[in-house]
Order: sequence, then structure tokens, then C-alpha cells
Amino acid sequence: MKFLVTKDLAHSTLLSYLMGSVVFAIFLYLVLDLVLHNYAIGLDIHSISVTLFGDAENFVEPILIDSLLLQVHIDLFMTLFAILILSSIYIRLYSSKAMTKWIVHLLFILGLLSPVMLILAYYVGTVFATMWLISFVLWHVLACIVGIMILKKLLFK
Amino acid sequence: MKNLALYTIPIKYMLIYVVLILLSGLWLFLLSQGLDSSESLMHTIKNIISTPEIKSMEGIIEVATPHLFAMGTMIFVVAHFMLFSTKISQKVSLIVAMLLFAFALFDIFSYFAITFGLVVSGWIKLLSMLLFVLLFLVMLGMVGFSL
Repeated sequence: MKFLVTKDLAHSTLLSYLMGSVVFAIFLYLVLDLVLHNYAIGLDIHSISVTLFGDAENFVEPILIDSLLLQVHIDLFMTLFAILILSSIYIRLYSSKAMTKWIVHLLFILGLLSPVMLILAYYVGTVFATMWLISFVLWHVLACIVGIMILKKLLFK
Repeated sequence: MKNLALYTIPIKYMLIYVVLILLSGLWLFLLSQGLDSSESLMHTIKNIISTPEIKSMEGIIEVATPHLFAMGTMIFVVAHFMLFSTKISQKVSLIVAMLLFAFALFDIFSYFAITFGLVVSGWIKLLSMLLFVLLFLVMLGMVGFSL
């Protein structure tokens, strides 16, 4: 593939502001996504177990697979676009750093593991619920760090 | 600009994500048609053909609305990478992309035909989904081949 990247855009103020704004919006999305998943599924092992497997003592029914799969379906779509935009801007600004390649790999792998682990947790058990929690929080934290690095580069260049 | 090869990393992962989105979408549709309670996948498919689940207009629009945006956006994002391909002609990419948009609309609106009573069987929904998913896989293959 050949990428049509021109040097004319390297110092474009408009492009810098656009990139900064979209990264700021994604940063807010990431924070609120954590809050949303805390309400929908839970962000501690007990809450996740109650959501996925129910609680017989308190008459709480487990989540329906339809609802969980819909959440996973939406998560995959949103994660793809959030990481795709973040990583593209990050590569543009930090292409000379050796770490860039590994950070992008890690971001995509964690983002991919998260929904897969949630489905596995539903069918297999709490081990995967823990893995979902770790991968979900980690990809959000890593994406936030990447977002901050992008903003830092754009604002203080 | 240096290290433009780095841009191939997000594209490769995008291909995997899109395949998972397609699979989870198929699974969701089959669940809505009774896969969870029926005996097998084949049994569910036969049920869809003979007696598809009755859906209200509100239910169909609730599903169609986000899918019009999401499928359109996803086709655009995946297909636009073919602009940079040096291995597949833009003419072929254009034909595949336009067919993909057409199949996406056919897939989204096919259930209206069942609800309005234009067709009794659910074959139209199965056919539209199959065409859309298969052609999307072809497009993903073209992007993967171009990397």
C-alpha cells in the first residue's frame, strides 16, 4: 500500500486543532465508558458475578445472553473506532519512537481481549470475568495515556 | 514522514475486529430468532425460513437506525483503504464497495418485507445477510491482500 501523506499537512494549524479536539472527545468517551460499564456490568468481581451469574439469595436473575452479546457487539464497534483514531494520530506524532509499534499492538490486543473475555466469562466462569476486568480497565487506561501523550505533543510542541 | 509501515498495524487489527463484529451480529440475529431455546443451528435456520419471528415496526426501526449509521460508516472506513492499494484496481474496489453498500441496505430493510407481508418466508433476510457478510469478507480479503 502507498499512503498519500503530504508534507503540506505537517504544520497545518487546522489539522492540529482537529486532532486535539477529537482526542479530547475520545478521552471523555473513555472516562464515561468506564462509568457506563460500571452501571451495566460492574467494575468489581462481586458486581460482575452478580450481573453474569445472578444471585440466588437475593433473587437476582443473570443477564440474558441477548443483552450481553448486544453490549459486546456495540463495544467491539466503539472500541475499533476509538483505538483506530487514537493509534493513527499517535503513529503520526510518535512514528520515530521505538515504543510506538508496541503500544499500538498492546492497545488493539487489550481492546480485542476485553469483549471476548466477557463472552467467555458468561459461559465458563469467574476466571474470565477477572480477565475481562483487567483487560477492560487496562485498555482504557492505556488509551487515556496515549490520548494525553497526543495532547501534550500538540499543545506543547 | 517516516515509518509509514506502522499504519499497517491498525489496518490489520481492524480486519480482525470487523470479522468479530460480523460474527457477533450474526449470532445476535440468530438469538432473536430463537437459537437459545431451539435444538440446533439448522433447526433455527429452518424456523427462520418457515416462520420468521414477528417483529413490530418499532422493533425493526430500533434495529435499523443504528445499523444504517454503523454499517455505512464501517463500509466506508474499510473500503477507503483500497484507495492506497497498489495491487487491486480502483475499478474493482469501486464495484465491490458499491455492491457492499447495496447489500447492506438490502440486509437492513429486508425484514420490512416480512413485516409488511410482501413475503411470508424468512429466506429474504437469510439471503440478504449471507450476501452482505460474504461480500464484506471479500472486501476485508482485498484490504488484507493489499497490505
